Amino acid sequence: MQLIADQLSRSFGARRIFGPFSFAVGPGEVLGVAGANGSGKTTLLRTIVGLLRPSSGSVRVGSNGSLVGPRERPHAFGWAAPDLSLYAELTAAENLMFFARVAGRPLSAARVDELLLALGLVPQRISTTPIRYLSTGQRQRLKLGFATSREPAFLILDEPGSNLDEPGRGVIEKLVAAQRARGGTVIASNDSRDLSLADRVLTLS
Amino acid sequence: MNEPSLLSGATAVFLKDVRSEWRTRVSLSSLCLFAFAVLVLIGYAVGPARLSPEDRPTVHSVLLWIVLFFSAMTGLARAFVKEEEVGTADALRLTAQPAAILLGKLMANFVLLTAVTAFVVPLFLGMMSFEIKNVWLFLVLLLFGIFGLASASTFVAAIVAKASAKGTLFAVLATPLLLPPLVAAVSGTQIAATHAEFSAGFDLLRLLLSYDGVVTTAAFLLFDTVFRE
Repeated sequence: MQLIADQLSRSFGARRIFGPFSFAVGPGEVLGVAGANGSGKTTLLRTIVGLLRPSSGSVRVGSNGSLVGPRERPHAFGWAAPDLSLYAELTAAENLMFFARVAGRPLSAARVDELLLALGLVPQRISTTPIRYLSTGQRQRLKLGFATSREPAFLILDEPGSNLDEPGRGVIEKLVAAQRARGGTVIASNDSRDLSLADRVLTLS
Repeated sequence: MNEPSLLSGATAVFLKDVRSEWRTRVSLSSLCLFAFAVLVLIGYAVGPARLSPEDRPTVHSVLLWIVLFFSAMTGLARAFVKEEEVGTADALRLTAQPAAILLGKLMANFVLLTAVTAFVVPLFLGMMSFEIKNVWLFLVLLLFGIFGLASASTFVAAIVAKASAKGTLFAVLATPLLLPPLVAAVSGTQIAATHAEFSAGFDLLRLLLSYDGVVTTAAFLLFDTVFRE
């Protein structure tokens, strides 16, 4: 399955944020997106996952390159970004179970525990803790869990290493390695450690 | 690839909203406190004895629905506004089907408004010595009326959620949309207070039911565009 961005661009009013440009991400491939602050990395990723409509061009996925509609989106993309928030009143497990259920892929309690352990979060320690009481690093790990728990075809990560300690960065490496077996990954970051996971880097100016 | 069913997704959204509300009690507290404060003011200013018996059904019906209307205005917008303000709306957009989100939010708002109505109505009837001759007609009117309030408020909340002046815009858009069912509900309550037979309020019930159907259908048809754009 491929992710194909064809002559993709996005403007806000008269201001061009990025593009137009084209690229493709194949199965097992990791594309890095670099660029200075304000170069449009976050906007590009939000456009890819469908949270923003492109000003021109299109994003297609699949072997036949079909457009991604609301029904396919939960299975096509797993997204984590600094401006993503999960439900502060719910626990980590409740958040993962809720999003899996609304996406049509319910998770068992045992599977959620496995996912939390893979993120470096100890389920027993946080089983009754609303995530508002978790540290920013723990919440960042949970965002990565939100992105990967539905086993999407493409993992779209915006600044995945923000607020993470060294073991947390190890979690990113493991998640990206696991995603190679499942599909493609796009990582937007200015951190060389994040970009070192990429096979090639697209630099936005 | 599993397609999420509408009902399963809506139930998940509903349970999530109920669980979040139960843990914070922000909407329920503000709605009940607002309703209680207005009831006390009305009881103090108007009271059961200051009105002539022939004026009571009309004035009491109007006052009761004013309390329910402003309670809806106070708390129901949070359904979508909070999702946008705290940044959870994007996660919801990426994972849930739009119709499931709307249905789940509508169910949560309807339950919330039902809880407030269950709190307000007995207090109001007791404090104002407001006698209802046809209790069944009154109960069905309340059911259809608060469903209309919940349905229109939920959809308007989705429209205003991304605006900067949410509170003002919510009132500006919701008020004209909510006036027709309010007029019908007030007239129906007046009839329930003065007529013993159920058939006397049948036309107004039909009007309320039609309104509920039209608003809810329009909300489902338009919601995808409203929520995603």
